[in-house]
Amino acid sequence: MKLTEDDIYRTSTQYRFWSFTKEQLAAQRLRTNAQATERVKANVARLRAQRQQQADSDSVSSGVENGSGANTPLPDRSSDLKEVDCLTAEEELKLVDEFCERAVALGQHCNFAMEATATGVQFLRRFYLYNSPMTYHGQNISRTTMFLATKTENSHRPLDEFVANFGKVTREQILAPEYIVAQGLRFHLEVKHPFRGLKGAHLEIMGIALGSYEGPNKIDEGMTSADLQARMLKLPSKSGRPVAMSAKDMEQRVNAAYVHASNTLKKVAILTDAYFLYTPSQIWLAAHLLADEPLTLFHISLKVSASSLTCTKLVSTIRSCAALLSSHHTYAPNPERDAKHRAEVKRLIEKLKSCRDPDKVDLVKLNQAQKRDAVKEDGDGIELEESKAKRRKIERETYEKASNEFWGPELKK
Amino acid sequence: MSKQLNRANGASTKRLAEDGGASPLSKSLYKLSLQPATQRDSPADSSSDICPVCKSSRYLNPNMQFKINPECYHKMCESCVDRIFSHGPAPCPIAGCARTLRKGKFRKQKFEDLKVEREVDIRKRVASAMNKQEDDFETLRDYNDYLEQVEEITWNLILKIDVEATEARLRRWEEHQKADLPNATRREFEPSVPTDHVVLKKGATQRKIASFANTPQTAAAEVSEDTGFSFHGLKKRVAPPREAPFDAFGGWSIAPQYYYLQEDYGVDWFNIQKNKPELRVGGYNVREYCDLALRDAFGGFGVFIEDEKVAEEIPSLDANVATGQAAAGASGIRDVNMDDVF
Repeated sequence: MKLTEDDIYRTSTQYRFWSFTKEQLAAQRLRTNAQATERVKANVARLRAQRQQQADSDSVSSGVENGSGANTPLPDRSSDLKEVDCLTAEEELKLVDEFCERAVALGQHCNFAMEATATGVQFLRRFYLYNSPMTYHGQNISRTTMFLATKTENSHRPLDEFVANFGKVTREQILAPEYIVAQGLRFHLEVKHPFRGLKGAHLEIMGIALGSYEGPNKIDEGMTSADLQARMLKLPSKSGRPVAMSAKDMEQRVNAAYVHASNTLKKVAILTDAYFLYTPSQIWLAAHLLADEPLTLFHISLKVSASSLTCTKLVSTIRSCAALLSSHHTYAPNPERDAKHRAEVKRLIEKLKSCRDPDKVDLVKLNQAQKRDAVKEDGDGIELEESKAKRRKIERETYEKASNEFWGPELKK
Repeated sequence: MSKQLNRANGASTKRLAEDGGASPLSKSLYKLSLQPATQRDSPADSSSDICPVCKSSRYLNPNMQFKINPECYHKMCESCVDRIFSHGPAPCPIAGCARTLRKGKFRKQKFEDLKVEREVDIRKRVASAMNKQEDDFETLRDYNDYLEQVEEITWNLILKIDVEATEARLRRWEEHQKADLPNATRREFEPSVPTDHVVLKKGATQRKIASFANTPQTAAAEVSEDTGFSFHGLKKRVAPPREAPFDAFGGWSIAPQYYYLQEDYGVDWFNIQKNKPELRVGGYNVREYCDLALRDAFGGFGVFIEDEKVAEEIPSLDANVATGQAAAGASGIRDVNMDDVF
């Protein structure tokens, strides 16, 4: 009973629940969008009807009365008849990408470790695969995912310290959506990143360059490590020109490739769908391919024999991943395109303001309502009645007091 | 003192009344079971109130206690035992009994009837040697035959028929059983037998073995079969197989396909890390990091999501099944309520 690296990866939640083909990913986003649109429209319609009723019953001009409707869109009656203009799935994806970029900036602002930031961003992407930005606003969620990520990535900061990074954010605002986020992530808190894998590969490639490689060799079993080194030194340069390099030059080249690939992973890969579509191993290979193609292909040829089906499939997979990475706007900045992109995002954020789900605007209040002893405020039915809540509170307090006694509390009947 | 006297008198008159017409069996049964526990240690027989050795009586010494030695079952008071046997083994002081007794073997009598005491001792001794169970035999019939044979041996010993030969065979049987399973723990018979209860003692048995070796017919038996006894249908005891060493992973292991963890990579930063004392003092091995990094590097190397996930069909459904509650929350009908203690 032996497990290969691939078998181990197949057992991870990232593979089992968070890996999709392109079509599945698109379909899921469409589904999420459709659901959210429906819900937003229904909720807005309900709210409008309520307000209409209220306006009819008392002659006071309709305004903002109850808390949960505080930020409801379109307060003026004239536009009530208009249908809400919801985001499309494509627009949602653009918004999520924007949230992710802002989350990276947030991580830099808070001086978070790279892994924590990357995990937070992935949490955000995973969360918005099943939830729409119309339902939960990215600003609230991204703070929470970052906070959650610092905890899962073993670089926890106390909440107060984290809150101090923001101007007007309270503790409750960060904690309120935490359960919703964890639930949306299906409690899968592990994200497998390609960073450490790249480091391991760098170590191995360096080993080949220095002539101390002992691993599998699919080119020719009989080659010694010195032969391999000689062969590596004869590799063509990045641009494809054949060059003969010294060991020293090769070392520099490997280092340069590592730095480039590492940058790609940290700045670009986390902002794309690569984590959903490819395995971490393929992601770092793609980043390395972008950095130094001959070197990467040489490394792959050591691991799988060039004639096998796996090799061709692997190379094509990596190339498509590399295309995905290099097509992202952060990979090669283009001022003109970026300006357009920014304008588009700005428009979308404005649009989002008008189509948010009115039930989910105030997450803090929602969270409060779910907690025990929550006092019923409006006719939603989830909250408890006041007298009931009071009784329970007293009951609990007496129970706690009894628990501190020597023999503990009385047993429940 | 007077109270003690009263008690003794009362007991004797009571006994006289009982003696009339009672059979010896019912009498001994009565003594075994019905007498109060306090009186059991001090047998109140008028004759047994006087030590046969020093002739002192309980009347003069109310704390007097009698002891017996399983070698000959002659009774004597505690002070006599102390006096005669404190300086090592000595012959029994009762006339006509010349057995050598040791102080360590003297003990209090458990049963009123010394015959019962002796029989119980013999049964214990035989049972400790003959400790086979039904599972050890091929058929029930064989087991029953065995039990009968054991009973026969027991009665031979009790009735003193052929004692020496039987004893020798028993000993040989025991040794054979022990030799059969050198490592396994010997199965004890239900009531564990303290060694001082065993009937026949070292000095005596040694003598017996010497005399036994001279007898011709048993010598022949020894040549043919060394076991002392042979039972039909007795299964050969098979030692249980050795337990394999515990494997925490249940036989699973990681066999990397794409890399080999090297001792050294010749890379500077790695060597520096490897030899850093502040990393090594805690027991941390940098190679572990190396292994982890390489496993990360090639974990999923040959996993093609594009192919495998299509074959799997609709993973989102899968995700819904995995946590139905979460899916309900995600689909947004209503978020799952957090647990309320009350």
